[in-house]
Amino acid sequence: MTDFGMTEITIIISSVLIFFSIVFGIVRLVIGPDTVDRVVAIDLLTIVTIALIALLAHQAERFIYLDVALVYGLLSFLGVLAVARYLEKGI
Amino acid sequence: MSSLVITLLTVVLCAGILIGGLLAVMLNNMVSAVVSAGLASLFASVVYVVLAAPDVAMTEASIGSGLTTMIFLYAIRKTQKVESEDDE
Repeated sequence: MTDFGMTEITIIISSVLIFFSIVFGIVRLVIGPDTVDRVVAIDLLTIVTIALIALLAHQAERFIYLDVALVYGLLSFLGVLAVARYLEKGI
Repeated sequence: MSSLVITLLTVVLCAGILIGGLLAVMLNNMVSAVVSAGLASLFASVVYVVLAAPDVAMTEASIGSGLTTMIFLYAIRKTQKVESEDDE
């Protein structure tokens, strides 16, 4: 509790920023009046989640967790693309 | 100190799973319900990472968040002439 290194301070600040991003994303997902608002909120939450998984990989010191973030980066793109094509009468 | 912050983030993620499930049940628009079900799958995968199971998290990310959304959208497209969206 006494010796805060530079890494510790960085992890705490980024955790607070990720916390508020998740909370505001969930608020937009709940009150979003349209489908497009909810799709953009899901995209925001996916990107914040990638940052959170990278933070967890550093905090647990297991860098195999970064592969999960890599899979997320590919699949969020495909999911948002599928919903966008559905909304434009495609798929 | 940082493990306390990680614990707080895990609590927020579990509340997000609950909110995603409730929205998937309560919303009237079908595409919004599918997207909200994707939120529950997304946060469940991060909770799997917190619980030290990265392979389960990877499978949940690829199937639950990617494949299920596409299959649900394809099914909604196929059954759109049968069921109207705004009758309830």
